[in-house]
Amino acid sequence: MNNNFGISEEQMKALVAEGLRSGGSWCDLYFESTVYFDLLLRDSEVSSGGYHQDYGCGIRVLDGEKTGYAYSESTDYASLLNAARAASSIACGSSSAPGIISPAAGKRRADAQDRYPQESDWRQKEASFFVPVLKKIDTEIHRRESRADKVVAMLSWSLSDIMMYNSLGELSCDSRPLGSISVSTVFSKDGRIENRRVSRSFRCGAEMISDTLVEELISDSVKGVDAMFEAKRPKGGKMNVVMAAGASGILLHEAMGHAFEADFNRKGQSVFCDRMGKRICNKGINIVDDATIRGNRGSCNFDDEGVPGQKTYMVTDGILTSYLHDRISASWFGVEPTGNGRRESFRYNPIPRMRATYMESGSDGSLDDLVGSVRKGIFVDQFANGQVKIGEGDFTFYVKSGFLIENGQLTRPVKDINIIGNGPQALADIVAVADDLKIDNGTWTCGKEQSVPVSCGIPSVLVKGLTVGGN
Amino acid sequence: MKEQNIQITRDALALALEAGARKARVTLARSTENLVSTLNGEVDKVTRCEDSSLSFALFVDGRFGSFSTNSLDRESLREFLGKAVGIVRMMAPDACRNLPSPERCCKTAITGNELDLEDPAYTELTPERRRGIALSAAVFGKIKPEGYKIVSEEGEYADSRYETVVMDSQGLVCLHTEDNFDYGVEVTVEAGGEKYSGYWWDSSSRLDKLAYAGCGETAVRRAAGQIGSGPVAGKKYNMVIDRDVASKVVSPLLNALNAYSIQQNNSFLMNSIGRKVFSEGMTIMDLPHIKGQTCSKLFDSEGVATSEGPIIEGGTVRKYFVNSYMAAKLGISPTVEDATRPKVLPWPEPGMHLNDILRLCGDGIYVTEFNGGNSNAATGDFSYGVEGYLFEDGKIVKPVSGMLVTGNFLNLWNNFIAAGDDYRDCMSKLIPTLAFANVDFNG
Repeated sequence: MNNNFGISEEQMKALVAEGLRSGGSWCDLYFESTVYFDLLLRDSEVSSGGYHQDYGCGIRVLDGEKTGYAYSESTDYASLLNAARAASSIACGSSSAPGIISPAAGKRRADAQDRYPQESDWRQKEASFFVPVLKKIDTEIHRRESRADKVVAMLSWSLSDIMMYNSLGELSCDSRPLGSISVSTVFSKDGRIENRRVSRSFRCGAEMISDTLVEELISDSVKGVDAMFEAKRPKGGKMNVVMAAGASGILLHEAMGHAFEADFNRKGQSVFCDRMGKRICNKGINIVDDATIRGNRGSCNFDDEGVPGQKTYMVTDGILTSYLHDRISASWFGVEPTGNGRRESFRYNPIPRMRATYMESGSDGSLDDLVGSVRKGIFVDQFANGQVKIGEGDFTFYVKSGFLIENGQLTRPVKDINIIGNGPQALADIVAVADDLKIDNGTWTCGKEQSVPVSCGIPSVLVKGLTVGGN
Repeated sequence: MKEQNIQITRDALALALEAGARKARVTLARSTENLVSTLNGEVDKVTRCEDSSLSFALFVDGRFGSFSTNSLDRESLREFLGKAVGIVRMMAPDACRNLPSPERCCKTAITGNELDLEDPAYTELTPERRRGIALSAAVFGKIKPEGYKIVSEEGEYADSRYETVVMDSQGLVCLHTEDNFDYGVEVTVEAGGEKYSGYWWDSSSRLDKLAYAGCGETAVRRAAGQIGSGPVAGKKYNMVIDRDVASKVVSPLLNALNAYSIQQNNSFLMNSIGRKVFSEGMTIMDLPHIKGQTCSKLFDSEGVATSEGPIIEGGTVRKYFVNSYMAAKLGISPTVEDATRPKVLPWPEPGMHLNDILRLCGDGIYVTEFNGGNSNAATGDFSYGVEGYLFEDGKIVKPVSGMLVTGNFLNLWNNFIAAGDDYRDCMSKLIPTLAFANVDFNG
């Protein structure tokens, strides 16, 4: 277990004691040291790069569900003591007795598996190792697709060393790598312009960079360019929608997943706040939020409250079985935390957040079977820019690309339309789930108050009666 | 503090040059922020934030890189910059990278308070005062609605001071200090088993001008206003957009005028400079120097002086946003990197507010919120989810939700009817109520 923060366990214990001096039920410390590196290819040259480092410690005091939070960018003891005192102000004037530290102080958490072992340390790789990767992507896209006009490719990696200590005396450490490549291509044809962005992101070491990954990025960038130029905005209306496996899972994240987050339910704001234990969709549907997928962008060995990462079934066989909890909501609901207490950095207090959110495969056949069952509808290949209103459950999703379905066949390509609906209603209207679950490994980032890396997935599904906006 | 900030930045610049940078720009950003959040009329969270970071633009042997750190002690910086210069040396040479010419740079940001954005009250605020503001603004339990109940009220008061120093190796020194006081509140109400949410906020660089009282009532009114909402028949309507969300149809135009989009051929406003591409009623000015107003600024991130002037004038595009790098790439004259305080001027006459514009339009949909959707930067096509109100004969008739608005920005702004004179000066973009004809709605 690394402690590169220049602070002893005795000092951490003393800081927790200071945080609880005015009362409060909980205190935790979150130390973070993050380095971030990026390289940018533009106009066929890797002519820009960057390196960034961030360091500090956040201190949180809870008084019931109330939070006091402060942080310091220095981990010298005096600075941390000031932060602890600022955080403790939440309990000033409360009726609670001074908080206590568990007699189990000094207990180290060793119950988390390593979901992101690093075979090759990013920090040992020079920029010169990555430059040929970006240049190959650029060269091959131009070679394979003459309509490719401009390519911008970015490679980045970050490594966060985390150390957490809390008033149960639990000490948890984690080292979180995150590597990402994104490629944006502008295509032009007869004066018309279209663009596409593809990306991959994993929690792993520099072994992520492989010929297979590079080929995926290139082939996905140049796939279906004809359809992009042929695509038209269709006539709008209410129709059945088949969502492709993989990236369509973002709809699950936005339109349903956020409403399962326990803070919204604790405050009575979610459409699901009185639905626990009730049927919310058809039998056979299971929806999961999972921190345990090896190398996944949303995985974590511990969450940011020191709770081991785990797999949480939110919907089991169509029944709502769990919200996504941090320690505050778990205590309020009287359940165990689910390891969803996450934060962007030491500058933020943790709140319930998703990790890798997906629906498990169903038993309604293949994508072809789903498309074949639709007389008139839309097949959605790529979503972007979804938004949901938590209370109402209303969502809108932008369809970047897809096809019309006519008499069970994919016919004309469509683009630049929106699908609008209501989360709980859309969930209840899923009438078929294929057996082809795919987790999408794009650079998904959830922006609920703070930015955290997530991923999503879904098998191909058929939803009846969504509103499609068109001409 | 300002002298200390200048010294930190000057030392960092010297270290960058010592590490091997031929030229460099250094930006010091320091901030303090205090927040008090309430839930249902009680303090729910208090947060104190203090941040300091140094950002470097390093030019080494014809190559470029950008770097940042929040470890500001000299030895950490020396080690960091040694590594940074090593990284830059591995980049491909790029002759287009350079500092802006000193003639274009700002020479008037000397004290940091030239735009009067510092409030002496900031340093006198106490934790008790902050709690007092947050609690007094809360309305939960204080108002008794009829026909619906308030499920939750989440409010947040925040005050902050941001201090920036920008220096470069050509002698640039710019300071900017800005205080902000904000209050925002989100309310969820329930009626007939359905939930509806509403949000309202205010912001000012002066504490005594922060209108936190009344935010809660407005948020409740906005939430309750949507009770019973639903889609109406899909067809072409006049669209009136509330000033609070009207930037949704202005920001994509400004993005399309940015040289990064132009250079990548990813803009629906390529080759538009000097051309009339919008309705003659459309004029957007950049007004970066309004004293006492949030987001006013004398210089951009390169230290280039901002200036007042038209971006789009009578429907004709007058300005691309071109930083030094993009100017060299495109072989055109540099301007500034972005709009600072864009303002849509009133049309067809000054002094109009929302009700005047509803009357002018007669019938249509008044959009109060956008919910998701997207626009295509290359084509200007857009599709957004919306909610708001159906209006007839200039009067609001019923709430609307579950609708989509679809179109193309060039067409939309060529069907421009009116711009009000009612922008909120607490917003970074000064966009008033806007109205357009013949807009496609689906529901």
